Amino acid sequence: MAVTGMRRHVRRSLLLLTVALFALASIGVASAQVGTPKPITDEAKKIEDLWIFTLLIAAVVFVAVEGALIYALIRFRKRNDELPVQTHGSTVLEFVWTGIPVLIVIALFTYSFIVLRDVENTAAAEDMTIEVQGFQYQWQFTYQLNDLGVNADPAASGEISVIGTAAEEPTLVIPIDEPIEFRLLSNDVIHSFYIRDFLYKLDVVPGRDNRFVITARETGDYFGQCAELCGLNHALMRFKLKVVTRDEFDLWVAEQTGGNGESAVRRAD
Amino acid sequence: MTSIVIPRPEGYARPRSALLDWLTTVDHKKLGILYLYSTMFFFGVGGILALLVRTQLAVADNSFVGNDAYNQIFTMHASAMLFLFIIPVWAGFGNYVVPLQIGAADMAFPRINALSFWLVPPAGILMFSGFLVDGGAAQAGWTAYSPLARGLGPGMDLWIIAVILLGVSSTIGAANFMVTMFRLRAPGMTMFRMPIFCWTMLVTSVLQLLATPVLASALAMLYIDRNFGGAFFDPNGGGNAILWQNIFWFYSHPAVYIMILPGMGIISEVLPVFSRKPLFGYKAFVFATMGIGGLGFSVWAHHMFTTGAVLKPWFGFMTFMIGVPTGVKMFNWLGTMWRGSISFEAPMLFALGFLSMFLIGGINGTFSAAVPVDFALHDTYFVVAHIHYVLFGGSVFAVFAGLYYWFPKIWGRRLNEKLGQAQFWLMFIGFNLAFFPMHLLGLDGMPRRIATYSNESGWEALNMASTVGAFLIATSMIPFIVAVIAAFMRPKDQPNDPWNANTLEWWTTSPPPVHNFDDLPEVHSERPLFDARQSGAGH
Ligand code: HEM
Ligand SMILES: [Cu+2]
Ligand SMILES: [Cu+2]
Repeated sequence: MAVTGMRRHVRRSLLLLTVALFALASIGVASAQVGTPKPITDEAKKIEDLWIFTLLIAAVVFVAVEGALIYALIRFRKRNDELPVQTHGSTVLEFVWTGIPVLIVIALFTYSFIVLRDVENTAAAEDMTIEVQGFQYQWQFTYQLNDLGVNADPAASGEISVIGTAAEEPTLVIPIDEPIEFRLLSNDVIHSFYIRDFLYKLDVVPGRDNRFVITARETGDYFGQCAELCGLNHALMRFKLKVVTRDEFDLWVAEQTGGNGESAVRRAD
Repeated sequence: MTSIVIPRPEGYARPRSALLDWLTTVDHKKLGILYLYSTMFFFGVGGILALLVRTQLAVADNSFVGNDAYNQIFTMHASAMLFLFIIPVWAGFGNYVVPLQIGAADMAFPRINALSFWLVPPAGILMFSGFLVDGGAAQAGWTAYSPLARGLGPGMDLWIIAVILLGVSSTIGAANFMVTMFRLRAPGMTMFRMPIFCWTMLVTSVLQLLATPVLASALAMLYIDRNFGGAFFDPNGGGNAILWQNIFWFYSHPAVYIMILPGMGIISEVLPVFSRKPLFGYKAFVFATMGIGGLGFSVWAHHMFTTGAVLKPWFGFMTFMIGVPTGVKMFNWLGTMWRGSISFEAPMLFALGFLSMFLIGGINGTFSAAVPVDFALHDTYFVVAHIHYVLFGGSVFAVFAGLYYWFPKIWGRRLNEKLGQAQFWLMFIGFNLAFFPMHLLGLDGMPRRIATYSNESGWEALNMASTVGAFLIATSMIPFIVAVIAAFMRPKDQPNDPWNANTLEWWTTSPPPVHNFDDLPEVHSERPLFDARQSGAGH
């Protein structure tokens, strides 16, 4: 190819590359607004902080390396047939660029270790435990009446049980501002209990007693969904989450135990 | 400069009918070509399945394919792409290129080599024949988690047997590559003068030899669970569901490097040639490759953080650590181009595509290594974005870099440059449009492996963008296919070394004779052809 043709060609390629990267960056920026999760628990807020920290480091690395790449392509593109200086490497540089990632790794690991310790809490005796049963292909949420958190009556007996069906997604109701333990159980295959705005999921594994604790800080309506492929209708294992105030929660409990014959509710005696 | 004359082995070129010749060949070049044809075929099949997936997900509440079909389609997409395309495609390149790069006449065990190849097509047929049996093809994902995989129809058994066959193929292939590189190097070619592509094939072979038998044992246990009343992975029978995941990922994380290291090797051949400089930090690069291979065995449980059954800090830390040798490689590639004389022929474009996209695949993997962040991201579309930035942005771009680079050597013709450029830009833009939005979908809570999503989710626009990107990628195959056909319609006109390259495969004719070399230059460095050009001793 003639030198001028080559130049034109290089310039066109570089232009296209720049446009493509720019488009990529703007998709990123534009969509950063839409539908990112809203951390509604103490734990989710800490996870979000870690996410942001990681994102910042990632952005710096991305811009630095991608920038160096584009700079090299422009600056060192072929201009003539002269052979460039044949450098084979540099031990000093190898140590430097082994060292930099090591430092980044230490920073990321340390922070994520701290967050990991903070978000993995165990429940106190008085905390409410909700039993989550995953089955092909829905969920069942069970509340023991003697284990309803701050206002619990230790003498109460019976349970509230909400079962999802193919036709109707179940609603999980939890009170705000108190630690709640979820106990995840399955008798068939592995499912995963995932609530986007908790920024959290934990697998529901047959033969294991997996538990986690969160404290919700915002009332509202949210959603969740099974996150582990569990068979035919895995995509339909959706549920709703309602975070309410303590008063609303007690009211809901009273409604459920009022025995007005709803099929999803059962009183044990 | 002296050359070494190779004694020609007897009885090589017995005349046979062309078809019989291809069916019975033990020539590494022909087997390499057969590997390339069949793996590119499965790339096409896997691609069509991907288009079905993307069509189904283009809009909310779609019923283009049902849940049952969807689970089969995405499972077979992943299985074809990993087991029938990307893993064996490196065996294809390796077969053709490794003996030539080390100046050998063939692989160490040509018949075992033929066996390795001939296990692949039957395995592919077996796996896909699942679509014909009751209950359909495998549908537990390429990860076949148990107890789910325990209860599915006979398509699952076909899948298990197929993957075992492919495992046998790559295990004996790995042994063959290792012996070839240890025993058959040209005079003067020490281990540290071996081309980098060979080094990556060597480390890949070690990983395959150590990891693949572990997968085979897991598959045998699953087969027993399914057919002979075993309960290895069934808690209701006293087994353990997590055990499957531990064994599966003990293979499949190293397998992830089996899928990318040879691609890194190709990039490390292409960048120096089109920057007209040696690879920066050859030895550091070799050690980084070994480091990745070694660390690859200590991170498997990062796929299992959300099971609650693994030691999270350890596996998080080791996973971060893999970023270190990977970073070293990235810097070495940049160092190679620095102060070079860079030209932008098609192989180089694809190599640059690899650099810029694999970087993203490394960076977005880091998020999942930060264990609490992985609680949010695991099993969402964010991970799907990660997988594809690595395996498509990395491995597939490297496959095309390799095809454009070695096409003149293998077939004696060059692929049209303009069509190559067109393919690259369509693929590059389509790729980012298809996969970048998946990061956002994952963050937004869209789980992977779902056959449909609701209208209320708000995921539709990004999914539509992704589907458009997928079809753009498919379109990018048109210029490629046209270029291949056009090339085959021209006579073989390529010189020995059309690129001013560095390694021994460019010493011999394009394509090489059956016995590969009539003579060899003396090897004094990892760039024997560069040395020969400098001393004016070309052909
Ligand atoms: C820079 C280095 C890398 C890091 C830090 C990294 C990290 C991770 C992590 C933590 C996961 C688990 C995510 C999850 O499911 O929650 C993952 C998944 C995955 N990675 Fe990587 N990875 C890296 C490189 C690669 C490479 C080189 C490949 C392949 C060639 C690869 C392919 C995959 C695949 C296929 C999965 C998904 C597995 C599945 O769940 O089906 N990764 N990676
Ligand atoms: Cu599920
Ligand atoms: Cu892994």
